[in-house]
Amino acid sequence: MRHQIQSDDLRAPEMATAIEKCVHCGFCLAACPTYSLLGEEMDSPRGRIYLMKNVLEERLAAEDAQPYIDRCLGCMACVPACPSGVEYGDLLVSYRALQEAERQRPPLDALARKLVMETLPYPKRFRLAARTGALGKALQPALPAAFAAMLSLLPDKLPPPLPLPAILPAQGERRGVVALLPGCVQAALAPEINYAAAHTLAANGIEVHNPPGAGCCGSILLHIGAEAKARALARDNFTQLPADVDAIITTAAGCGSGINDYELLFKGQDDAERARAFSAKVMDFSAYLAELGLRRSKGFDRERRVAYQDACHLLHAQGIHSEPRALLNQIPNLRLLPIADAGMCCGSAGTYNIDQPVIAAELGRRKVESILALELDLVVSGNIGCIAQLRQQLALLKNPLPVVHIAELLWQAYAN
Amino acid sequence: MNRALLAALENIYPADRLLTRDVELLPYESDALTAFSAKPGAVVLPVDEAEIIYTVRLCHEMAVPFVARGSGTSLSGGSLPIPEGLTIGLNRLNRIKKIDPQQRIAVVEPGVINLHITEAAQPYGLYYAPDPSSQSICTIGGNIAFNSGGAHCLKYGMTSNHVLGMKVVLADGAVTQFGSESIEGVGVGPDLVGLFVGSEGLFGIALEITVRLMPQPELYRTVLAAYDDLGRAGDAVSMVVASGLLPGAMEIMDRLAIKAAEASVNAGYPDAEALLIVELEGEAPQVNAEFEQLRRIIDASGAFESRVAKSEAERTRIWKGRKGAFSAVGRLSPDYIVQDGVVPRSRLGEALLEINALKAKYSLDVANVFHAGDGNLHPLILYDGREDGALEKAEALAGEILALCVNLGGSITGEHGIGMEKRDYLPAMFSEEEIDIMQALRLAIDPKEIANRGKMFPGGEAPALARQGMHPLERAGVISRE
Amino acid sequence: MTISAPATVDELQTLIRDSERIHVIGKGSKTALHGNVNGAATVGLSEISGIIEYQPAEYTVTVRAGTAVHDLSAALDDEGQYLPFDPLLPAAATIGGVVAANLSGSRRFRYGGVRDFILGAEVVDGAGRAFRVGGKVVKNSAGFDLSKFLVGSLGRYAIMTELTFKVFPDVPRFRSLAFHYEQLEDALSAIYFINQSPYELDALDLVPPPLMNRGKKDGCWKLLARLAGFDETLPQRVERFSAAMTGETAPIQVKPLEDSASLWDPLAGLAGACLVKVALSPKQVPRFDEMVSRSPRRYGVGGNIVWLETEDIKQLDAALKSCELTGLCLRGVVESAVIGAPLENVLAARVKQVLDPQNKLV
Repeated sequence: MRHQIQSDDLRAPEMATAIEKCVHCGFCLAACPTYSLLGEEMDSPRGRIYLMKNVLEERLAAEDAQPYIDRCLGCMACVPACPSGVEYGDLLVSYRALQEAERQRPPLDALARKLVMETLPYPKRFRLAARTGALGKALQPALPAAFAAMLSLLPDKLPPPLPLPAILPAQGERRGVVALLPGCVQAALAPEINYAAAHTLAANGIEVHNPPGAGCCGSILLHIGAEAKARALARDNFTQLPADVDAIITTAAGCGSGINDYELLFKGQDDAERARAFSAKVMDFSAYLAELGLRRSKGFDRERRVAYQDACHLLHAQGIHSEPRALLNQIPNLRLLPIADAGMCCGSAGTYNIDQPVIAAELGRRKVESILALELDLVVSGNIGCIAQLRQQLALLKNPLPVVHIAELLWQAYAN
Repeated sequence: MNRALLAALENIYPADRLLTRDVELLPYESDALTAFSAKPGAVVLPVDEAEIIYTVRLCHEMAVPFVARGSGTSLSGGSLPIPEGLTIGLNRLNRIKKIDPQQRIAVVEPGVINLHITEAAQPYGLYYAPDPSSQSICTIGGNIAFNSGGAHCLKYGMTSNHVLGMKVVLADGAVTQFGSESIEGVGVGPDLVGLFVGSEGLFGIALEITVRLMPQPELYRTVLAAYDDLGRAGDAVSMVVASGLLPGAMEIMDRLAIKAAEASVNAGYPDAEALLIVELEGEAPQVNAEFEQLRRIIDASGAFESRVAKSEAERTRIWKGRKGAFSAVGRLSPDYIVQDGVVPRSRLGEALLEINALKAKYSLDVANVFHAGDGNLHPLILYDGREDGALEKAEALAGEILALCVNLGGSITGEHGIGMEKRDYLPAMFSEEEIDIMQALRLAIDPKEIANRGKMFPGGEAPALARQGMHPLERAGVISRE
Repeated sequence: MTISAPATVDELQTLIRDSERIHVIGKGSKTALHGNVNGAATVGLSEISGIIEYQPAEYTVTVRAGTAVHDLSAALDDEGQYLPFDPLLPAAATIGGVVAANLSGSRRFRYGGVRDFILGAEVVDGAGRAFRVGGKVVKNSAGFDLSKFLVGSLGRYAIMTELTFKVFPDVPRFRSLAFHYEQLEDALSAIYFINQSPYELDALDLVPPPLMNRGKKDGCWKLLARLAGFDETLPQRVERFSAAMTGETAPIQVKPLEDSASLWDPLAGLAGACLVKVALSPKQVPRFDEMVSRSPRRYGVGGNIVWLETEDIKQLDAALKSCELTGLCLRGVVESAVIGAPLENVLAARVKQVLDPQNKLV
C-alpha cells in the first residue's frame, strides 16, 4: 500500500516497510482470532494495519484507533498467513512503543505500570510482593495479555523455589552445553518448569549453566513500551550469561519471541551487534532438544492420549511446529492427537480477560471444546500463558484434565 | 450520509453493528484493489436475512446506494464503497445451514467462507470445487457476485456451475427464489441462477445459497515442470490438450512470479523462466494411467526438470506458492495491478510475447501467473505509487494488455469481474447496444441504481482515479468516443 | 400451420419486427412445444444452421442455432470431443432447441448440464435487436451472463441464432453395469453411496420395475451405471466399483450390460403419446414416484431428472403441483407445455420487460 508516513521516529522505517508490503489482500483475516469472532474489518490484521497507517499519516487520532489495537492479542497468527511478508510484529511493537510515549494514562494505570516495572522482572521482589497479596489485581490492568496470563496462575501461596545448581552436569556422554535463561514471572510462579527443563536436558547429556545473576529478558517491559528499562535488563543477561555455550535455552514462548525483537529494541544502540549475537543464540527448549535428538526415555507404563497446544509465540512468532511434536512422538506409550484449528489462539488470560472478557472467554471456550473432543489424558504446551488459560477454562467446566509444560512431561518420562 | 436512513437503521441495528465513526469506516474504504478507496457513509453488519431485506428496502425507499461486502478480497474493486453510501458487511451471516452429503449439496449464508464449506463437507468425502486463490477467506456471497473461478475450473467450471439455487433480495426490495436442490435446477424456465451469478452485486444480495458439492478425488497427481522459456511451457499446455487429457488444473508462472512465490512460502520451486503445474485428479487407476501419458508429454515438451508431488504435503506446498503468488508480489513492489484477461489458449504464446514487448515499452516489470488451461492470464504490473505518474503508466500498460486480449478474441475478465477497475473497458467487449440492453436490464431490476452503483458500467459516479487525455483503449484504437 | 424459416438473422429480425406474436421452434422435434400458440406466427430455425467455428484446441465450438444435434456431434466426434451435457434427442433436435428446452441426457451426470457448457450466444430479442451475450472463450465473467439465462427459456425472451459451447475430449471406452434392488429406497441408498464415493461414473440412471411385473418377484429397480476411461483401466475400475457396491449397498443382482447408445438413451423405452421431463432432487423421488407409479418412467442423472409418459396430463399436473415441481411436456398435444408449479418469477419478469416489452415471443 502506498502511504504518506513522515515520522522522524527511529522506528518509522520498520513501520513504513510493513505498511508498504501490505497489499490489502485479506489472507490474514482467516488466521486472526478477533476477526473470526467479530467479523469486522477494524478487528482484523489488515484493518489494524490500515488504522495504524492512518494514525501515522495523521488522518486519524491515535486514541480512536487504540481500542482496536488493544484488542489485538499479539498472537502473530497473521504473520505466517501473509503472502506478502508483512512484519506485523515489528509494526505492532513499534507502533505500541511509539503510542505509549504519548499515551495519557489514568493515575491508577500509571501506578500499576510502575509496579510492573519494579516488580515483575525480579523474581525475589515479585515473590515478596505476591505474599502481600492483591498484587495480581493491581498489576493486571497494565499488562499485555501474554504476561498478565501468568498472573492468573497466581496461587494463594507461591510454590517454594526449586533452585538449580550453577552448573548441572550432563549425564553420560556430554552432547552439549547450554545456559538456561531463568526468566522472571514464570520462575516465581512455576519453578517446576525450569527445574524439569534443566533435568531433562541433563538426562540427555547436556550440561546446563544456571548463572545466578541472569534474569528477565526485558520483553515484558518492551511490550508495555518501557524500552530503556527493557534494554537494561537485556544487557544484564548479555554479561551474566556465558557466551561460549551452544545455545541459550528458554522455556517461555514470550521470552523467545521477545528476544527475537532485540534487533528492533537495540536499533541505533552501540551494542546492537551484541544484542543480535545474543538473540541468535537463544533457542526454545523444544527446538533445541529436537535438533539434538532425544535419548530414549522410559515413557509411560500404559498408553497416554496427549495433545500439544501450540503457543502463538512459538508457532506463529518463531515457526516452531514440528519440533515439540517430534519430541512427544519419541516417548514410549504416548499417543499424540491433533487439536482442531490448532493455529488459533486460546485467548490467553490476564488483562485480556478483563478488557475483552467476551473475546477471551469465547476463544478459550472454543479451544477447550476442541481439546475435550479428543478424550485426552493430558495436554501439554510450551508456554505458561496457554497453560494458565487452559487450566482456567477447564476449571470452569470442573474438568480435571491436567495441563503441563512440555518440559514437565518429558522429565516425567525420564523420571518414571 | 442520509440522516433519515441513519435514523431508520438505528431502529434495528445496535451501535456495535452500525458503524459511523471514522475509525470504523476507514478500514472499509478499500478491498484488495487499493488503487481505489472511498469512505462509506456507514457500515451495517446484519446478522440475519430479515435485517438485510429491511436494509435494502430502506435504501431503495430513500434512494441511498449500497454495496454488499464479504471479506473485501475483490481484485477489481467490486466491493469498493460508494462515498456517502451504505456498506452492508455480510460476514456475520456465516452459518452453514445444511450439509446433505447424500444429495451432495450444502445450504449456506452469503458470509460463509469458501473454504469453510469444503471443511464442513470433508468428513463426508466431499468438497466445494471452485477454489479462488483467496478461498481461505473470500465469502460465497462475493464468489456469486463475481462468478469467481480458481485454478481448478477447467474441468468443473466456476462458481456459476456450482450454485444450484438461491434466495435473493433484489435491489428494489423484492425477495425471490430460484433454482432448487436438484442439480438440474427447476428443469425448465430461464436459468435465473445463471443470470444472478456474476451480476457484480448490481441485481441485489444473495440471502441463502444452495451449492453443489463434489466427491473428493481419490487421487491427485501433481507435476511441476520447469522450462527455460515461457513459450515452451505454453506449448506444453497445447500438447496436453491435444493428447485428449483433461487435467483438473494447468497453471503457469513466470520467473518474477516464481521469485515472489518462493520468497513467500519456500515452495522449493526450481530456478526457471517458467513453471508449469499440471494436476490430474480422479479415480486412482485412471489417474495413474493418465499420469503415464502426461509424463511422456512433459518429457517431450522440453522441460529441463520435472517433479512429481510425492505426498499431500508436497502438493500443498506447490499450490501454496501458486495461490499466494499475487500477494507475494507485495514483497517485490509496493504496488501492483493484477490483470485478468483471457485469450484463446492457442494464442497464449502470442499474448506473452506481446506482453513482453509492452513491458519494455513502458519500462515496468510484469509478473505473469496464469490459468493456462483456460487461457486466463493474470499479469501483475509492478509499480511504485510514490513516483509521480507511476500508477497512470501502470494503468496504461494494463489497458494495452486488455486490448490485446480482446483483439486476440478473448475477454477482459475471466474471473475477477469488471468491478471498478475495468468498467471503462466494457465497451471493448460489448457494443453500445449490448451495453444499453444490460443497462436497461439493470434499471428494470434497480430503477434507482442503488445496488453497487458505479461498478461494471462505464462512466458512473463512483470515485475514479483522475484520468487525463485519451483512454488507453482509445490510444490502442479499440474504442472511440465518436 | 405454416412455418416461416428465415435463412439469415436479418430475415429473422424483419420477421419479428413485422409480426405481432412469434413462436419459435427448431425443427419441431418436440411436438408439445410445436406451435398451438394462439395467433402466433411459427418460425422455424432449421435454415439458420451450420458450424461457424470449431477449434478443438480451444475446447470451444460456435454453431448456428438451427444446426441438427447429430451434425454437431459428428463434427466433434471426428476430433475425439463431445458435448458433455449429452444433448437429448440427438437424431431429431436442433442444438438451439436443446438449449431452449434445457434437454440434457444421461451423460450429464459426469460434468454437468446445458448451463454448464454454454459460453455465449447471438440472439434476436422481441424488439428485433440482434446482439451477443456471454463470450467465446472457455472463461469469461464480463457483463451479465444472459447466455445461461437462455437455457430453458423456451424462446420466450429472445431467439438464439448462434451458440458457443465448451466441449471436452471424449473418453475412449465405456463399461455399463446394472445393479438390481428390490425397493426404491435401496436403489436410492445406492445412489447416495455413489454420491459420496470417489467412483467417477459417466452416467447413472434408475429404471423402475416394468409395470406388468409390479408386485411380482422379478420386478426390481435397476440402477444402471456407466464407467468411462482408458481400455486398460476399465476392468480394474469395474471390479472395484462392483465390489464396493456389492459390499455397501447389497444389490440382489449385479449384471454387466452390453454398452450401447440406446441403453443410455433415457427416452428409448418411452414411446407413449405424452412425454414429460421433470427435474427433482433425489430425496423428492419417493414421494413423487408414489404418485406416478403407473406411468412408464426413468430416473436420469442420479435421480435428478425423471422422464415419464402419461395419459392423464391433468393428474400429472396436480401431482407436480403438490410436490412443488415443474414439468415440461416434450411430446403430445397439450394446452401448455409447462405443467405443475408455475414458473412466474419477478426476476424473469423484469428480463422479459426489457427483452420483449411487447410480449411478442410466446
